[in-house]
Amino acid sequence: MSTTRHHINRQRRRQARGTRPTPSAGVPQGAGGRGRAGGTAVLPPAVSPSPTRPDGEDGADGQDGKAPAAGERAARVRPRRPVGLALLCALTVLLGGFAGWAHAKAEALRDDPARRNTALTDLARTGEIEGRTAKAVDRLFSYDHTDPGALQKAARDLLTGKAVDQHRTLLADVRERADAQKAVITTTVTESAVERIDGHRARVLVYADQSSVATAGDKTASDAADASDEGAYAGAMLAVDVVHRDGRWLVSGIDTFGR
Amino acid sequence: MKRAVRVLTARRPRPLPSLVVALTLAAGGFAAWAGQDWYGAAHDDRAAYAAQRDEALAAGEQAVQNLNTLDHRDLNQGLDLWESSTTGELHDQLKSGRAEFADQVRAAKTVTTARVLSGAVAELDDRAGRARVLIALRVTVRASDGAKTDKDSRMLGELTRTGGRWKLSALGQAPVGGAPTG
Repeated sequence: MSTTRHHINRQRRRQARGTRPTPSAGVPQGAGGRGRAGGTAVLPPAVSPSPTRPDGEDGADGQDGKAPAAGERAARVRPRRPVGLALLCALTVLLGGFAGWAHAKAEALRDDPARRNTALTDLARTGEIEGRTAKAVDRLFSYDHTDPGALQKAARDLLTGKAVDQHRTLLADVRERADAQKAVITTTVTESAVERIDGHRARVLVYADQSSVATAGDKTASDAADASDEGAYAGAMLAVDVVHRDGRWLVSGIDTFGR
Repeated sequence: MKRAVRVLTARRPRPLPSLVVALTLAAGGFAAWAGQDWYGAAHDDRAAYAAQRDEALAAGEQAVQNLNTLDHRDLNQGLDLWESSTTGELHDQLKSGRAEFADQVRAAKTVTTARVLSGAVAELDDRAGRARVLIALRVTVRASDGAKTDKDSRMLGELTRTGGRWKLSALGQAPVGGAPTG
């Protein structure tokens, strides 16, 4: 079946080109659409100079058209390129090469980790981060047994990500003890320095003092009275990761160095 | 049909020269921009400042670690390292107290090692060659009986640049509760 169609199509194309007279095949011309040949097509040697692949109906067609085109190309006379044009080409390549190389160099310089870290090089940002972090640490590590809501509010306002859990764990027994002793724990950052600023993330090393003052009016507890007179001071050090979000610096990680 | 198209293509005026000139100009513009960009990046003041900051911190961390590391079996080498890590007043103090300190450590038979947990530069005066660093340190002391104690120290150090190198000129611990501690 397909062999017949193949044959018909070929005949029709020949007809269109007008190189051959009307086909002699007895099949009506309107029968069958264009179909790819599955079987072997035997072509008349006069039309196609080279053997055609079994399913290469289109290929055979292309070969027909290619032969005169090749002749055309060979016949074309190429104008001699002026030397200037060649020089321009070379110059273009050189300039383009230099541009790409210089660009890569500049990018490499900017990608240098020392430069990406803008701690101290961007003084305004460094100062802002130091200030915000100190305030956040003051609030997050201070606790007044009469106002437990303040700590919760601070945690809601200032913490994000894994710092939420870290803060809860760190403060859990502090709160318990403070409630038992009716103590007020006040944390004050005494020293801080920004280790690294990378875009909207930063890490700050913080030294803080924690004072615990028991305000229990319980006169029978002599040790509590001692504490309320003196206050107990402890020094803490921690590294705080902060992230800039919606115009605010939030604490995203608290590193107490395994303590 | 195909013949006609091919002939037309061949006869079209060739735009190669003007194309090449345009490409050359574009490449020249790009090269000028990239060169300027590169020059700017290489001569950025902040880059030099950042390099000094990192250098000061690295030197500070190493020096603080050195000054908290001492093995009673190898006192001289340890104390030489102390002196080479410091400058100015701190250097003079260490030098003058060296003999006495060495005797103490030799008698106590302790081995002290230190590990920097974290460090940051708080202030840096690039021109004057001065810097202040915060260094969180964990000091481990192994006594003669093998007992091991860990202690965290909140170090505050001052560095001075001498001969192109940053050295410690002062070192102490951050005071707790307003009172300085040993």
